[in-house]
Amino acid sequence: MKVAQLLERRKVRWSELEAMCRELENGRSRRLGAVGVLRFASAYRSACADLALADAYQLPPHTVQYLHDLVGRAHNQLYRSRLFQWQTWAHEMFRRVPTMILFDRAAWLAFVIFWGIFFASMALAYSSREFSLEVIGEEAMETYQRNFSQPIGGRSFEDSSMMGGFYVYNNASIGLQCFAAGLLLGVGGLFITVSNALQLGAVFGFIFTTPSRGNFIEFVTAHGPFELTAIVLSAGAGMRLGFAIVDTNGLSRMASLRKAVDRAMPTAAAAVVLFFLAAVIEGFLSPSDAPYAVKAGVAMLSTAILVFYIVVLGLRGRIVDAD
Amino acid sequence: MSGMPQPPRQLDSRIEIVTPENIAFHYVVAGPFRRLPAYIIDCLICTTVLVGSLIGISFAFGSAGLFAIGFGIWLLIAFAVSWFYFGLFETFWNGQTPGKRMMGLRVLSVTGQPINAMQAILRNILRAVDAMPVLGSVAIGIPLYMVALLAAAANSRYQRLGDLAAGTMVVVERRSKLRGLSQLSHPDVVRLALDLPRSLAVNRGMAQALSLYVARRDRIAPARRFEIARTLSEPLAERFGLPRDINPDLMLCALYYRTFIADTAGGAVLSPESEAAEMAAAEASVR
Repeated sequence: MKVAQLLERRKVRWSELEAMCRELENGRSRRLGAVGVLRFASAYRSACADLALADAYQLPPHTVQYLHDLVGRAHNQLYRSRLFQWQTWAHEMFRRVPTMILFDRAAWLAFVIFWGIFFASMALAYSSREFSLEVIGEEAMETYQRNFSQPIGGRSFEDSSMMGGFYVYNNASIGLQCFAAGLLLGVGGLFITVSNALQLGAVFGFIFTTPSRGNFIEFVTAHGPFELTAIVLSAGAGMRLGFAIVDTNGLSRMASLRKAVDRAMPTAAAAVVLFFLAAVIEGFLSPSDAPYAVKAGVAMLSTAILVFYIVVLGLRGRIVDAD
Repeated sequence: MSGMPQPPRQLDSRIEIVTPENIAFHYVVAGPFRRLPAYIIDCLICTTVLVGSLIGISFAFGSAGLFAIGFGIWLLIAFAVSWFYFGLFETFWNGQTPGKRMMGLRVLSVTGQPINAMQAILRNILRAVDAMPVLGSVAIGIPLYMVALLAAAANSRYQRLGDLAAGTMVVVERRSKLRGLSQLSHPDVVRLALDLPRSLAVNRGMAQALSLYVARRDRIAPARRFEIARTLSEPLAERFGLPRDINPDLMLCALYYRTFIADTAGGAVLSPESEAAEMAAAEASVR
């Protein structure tokens, strides 16, 4: 058979496949229906077969190019992106993530570094005003002191919602940046963690030297556990990525990074959830005039939840995995 | 194994994908300068959405005297858009954002399979690193994407760091039109095709050369056609004892006709006069 005749015959099939691709790409109909699916699959397979035999048929190069493009398009419609698989994610969040956090050296490293520097910085700022001036700056110091000079309470609902939105935007963004920066061989994440810890510690230490300390403590108690844990978790997850490139455990660097991604992503997702919870508490409860006992209760409850999540679920996940 | 990419052997930006149907087909990987326009379009869309929603919310909530609540909600929207616009679109639009769709780009796994939600979100959160350094403040700054450029320059699939971590790449989804065979129905071509000796067999390589030549000859000046066609027609004429002064262009067209279109002339001749004139002119110019 001559190429001309062959092309005449095949053209019908190809343009049918092309038309179906166009329809799927334009998103008018994500579903073709049972008959459509059968026809699509068979048209795709025959286009594949034509491409495989293109050389033997002596098809002209531009027709071969057309077939490459057509098969590529159809391939992308046939094998579509997998959406969120909620069941898998639930399993991830309540089984694997706690275990990974509990037994992840990067997370513990972030934990130790953050809290170590936090307390060191706090002690330094408490004992020396010079240190606070150096780290926080005079202007910011005055602002903090002024903001917490009045007793807490009496922020309107509107202002609370605005600040809640602001805390999500600001804090979760910082957390995600901290995670992303970890990719730079872990150094980027380390840097952001250290600077965060230094800043926060210095603010705490400085405020304790002023009469505003009572109001300050009242403000930070409720949302503290969630927010600080979220910072540590996102930093740890980022560092896990960075360190995986350095310490490959015998794998190639790329393979090691991919493996680390599998562990780090759910942890980062958990951190984002914690940032949200913290922002809601920080926006609404922390500045409210609720008695301190309520705020302290929330802090204790959230700490208990975190301990349960990381330690209890983590150990259980370990045991389930071992079975 | 199916779905595995070939080892990087390519000279240009094409990569080969082997599908589960055991077919190898080619993709062109999109380099930084194909991706930039798509990115700019997406940025414009994001900015429009953010500004538009801020205006809308200001009016809706402001008129009720609840601007602060509205602003809080807007900050949530801003967070979602700035961190998840790309990731969510790539998840639900099968690896495309509006910008990528307009520019005909698509994100795929390096194995050629579609990406999943986790890959889509991850590669776009890690954008924060790729975008470094950022001119101006973090909120409203111009990302320079130097890290991404360096990373893309260092591997054969132009992957930025987010792509490397998520195991993805961006390909160009070309939509070429099917062009049929070149129409050659000039009577001289058909006549010569009949006169060519049966023993003149066209192998695969020659068939490719013929179809490349004929597909492009329209865009080549007649004198140049002669020059190009001669390299193939002269040795053939010599071997098969054809007259030496045969028109090289005509001869290749006849060979093409015989190989791809028909063995015997159907006789249906639709001769464009211009072609004959061109050939005569070319002949004159060579002599």
